[in-house]
Amino acid sequence: MKVRVDDGLCQGRAMCILACPELFDLSDEDGHASVRQADVPRELEAKIEQAVRGCPEGAIQTY
Amino acid sequence: MEHLLDRDAAQQNPVDFDHHSAGHATNWPATFARIRANSPRAWSEHHGGFWLATRFDDVIRIGQQPEYFSAHKDYDPATGKIGGGISIPPLPGLRGVPNETASPEWDGVRTFINRRFSPKSVEAFRAKAQQFAAALIDEVIEKGEFDIVEDFTNPLPALVTMELFGFPLSEWRAFADPFHKIVYTPRDDPFFAETVRGLDYFNQRVAEEVELRRKDPRDDLLGHLANGTIGGAPLDAETIQNLAFNILAGGVDTTTALTSNTLIHLAQNPEDRERLRNDRALLPFAREEFVRYFSPIHALARNVTEDVEVDGWKFRKGERVLLAYSSANRDPDVFEEPERVILDRFPNKHIGFGAGMHRCVGSFLARIMFEAMLNEVLDRIPDYRIDEDRLVRYPTIGNINGCIHIPATFTPGKKVGAKIA
Ligand code: HEM
Ligand code: SF4
Repeated sequence: MKVRVDDGLCQGRAMCILACPELFDLSDEDGHASVRQADVPRELEAKIEQAVRGCPEGAIQTY
Repeated sequence: MEHLLDRDAAQQNPVDFDHHSAGHATNWPATFARIRANSPRAWSEHHGGFWLATRFDDVIRIGQQPEYFSAHKDYDPATGKIGGGISIPPLPGLRGVPNETASPEWDGVRTFINRRFSPKSVEAFRAKAQQFAAALIDEVIEKGEFDIVEDFTNPLPALVTMELFGFPLSEWRAFADPFHKIVYTPRDDPFFAETVRGLDYFNQRVAEEVELRRKDPRDDLLGHLANGTIGGAPLDAETIQNLAFNILAGGVDTTTALTSNTLIHLAQNPEDRERLRNDRALLPFAREEFVRYFSPIHALARNVTEDVEVDGWKFRKGERVLLAYSSANRDPDVFEEPERVILDRFPNKHIGFGAGMHRCVGSFLARIMFEAMLNEVLDRIPDYRIDEDRLVRYPTIGNINGCIHIPATFTPGKKVGAKIA
């Protein structure tokens, strides 16, 4: 599983960090999220699913 | 569920909905539940007529299309003419910047302030927030009683905001009170004029302090306003006023309302209070749940810039639409058991901080202030009881869902020696 954040939709509300602090970072510039790595380790897949369901803007995609 | 609608039919069968009515303040969850079930895309004839978006999906989609649904406000101080903006009915006075701007103005302003509100920047205020919270509890702890709003949830965000701006802390009351009181004081109340004078005083003080920093730069928000640039040019006097006004108005009473309602909930639900007291790791999740549940900013407007259709909902240029964040946050299609506070609800994709580009710039600071207040109460006066007979809520909640008085008592304790300044 891979994960990415659509910067056009992300508004930096940090719900993803609550779900999976291991894989998301928030920018100091605008608070928007980015992923530290696209590849999702198996043990984090459940957390990433939660992040997808928890992002109000629908900005997190798995592929 | 079928949500397509015949716009003419909706306009011919308006709902009797006024977010500023006293009835709405006491009954809003049931009112929104009914409207969401029967006519989620409703038309109201109040305040000149407006669309009402009550479902989560609609509010998000409209919020994410600012080119068609603009928050921009035109205000001509000379004639007093107002158009657009985020309030229904339109509010006289200043234009909130960036809240009542559109691109490209918005982009410049948001870039200008984003960095100062990033998670890392506002972390610097956590220790201050804790110190203020401790000092405010010190003031009352030996008495064993206080007014949660007057003595605690109103002063704390005001003090932190003063610190953020770089104003002398001794001035906090002159700034906090008008922004709290203007929200609930009826316009025909003689006191209303006084609160408006309070805002004028704030504007005057911003101008004075900015002037000082032009000569003697300082690294605070006033210094940034005085000496920073947008697109290479310094900010003009009007932008400075409107931006300072937006940051103060956006940050003070919202955080007050959130914390006040949370402390009422915890007093009324001792099992939740005990759980939070014993498990602070729960606090970030509970905090988001309280933002969802109480939605301190109840609803805000957008203005249709051209004819447009959103998922079968047709809008015409010039119409206004109210985004009911409070209703979206209790949409049963999105939240299980939406009418219940579930402290560890997660995922929780609430939009209590808004949706789309105007989404709250201050949410990280709000979270810090909220946590400082909650921790202080849970640590030092965990057995507080509220005198429900003397609890006074805002008579109307169309702007902010908050409280005026929450008298409370607790077992007296000892001061820790914290000072405000
Ligand atoms: C619990 C506390 C808070 C809540 C519930 C809240 C809620 C909101 C909401 C719903 C919006 C979106 C407005 C819209 O849709 O038009 C917003 C925007 C904004 N908020 Fe907050 N807010 C809070 C705290 C703060 C704080 C602490 C600050 C600053 C110190 C702040 C400053 C702003 C500003 C400047 C905007 C406009 C952003 C823009 O237009 O780009 N807010 N807030
Ligand atoms: S929860 Fe969504 S909107 Fe928020 S920071 Fe994460 S990706 Fe961005």
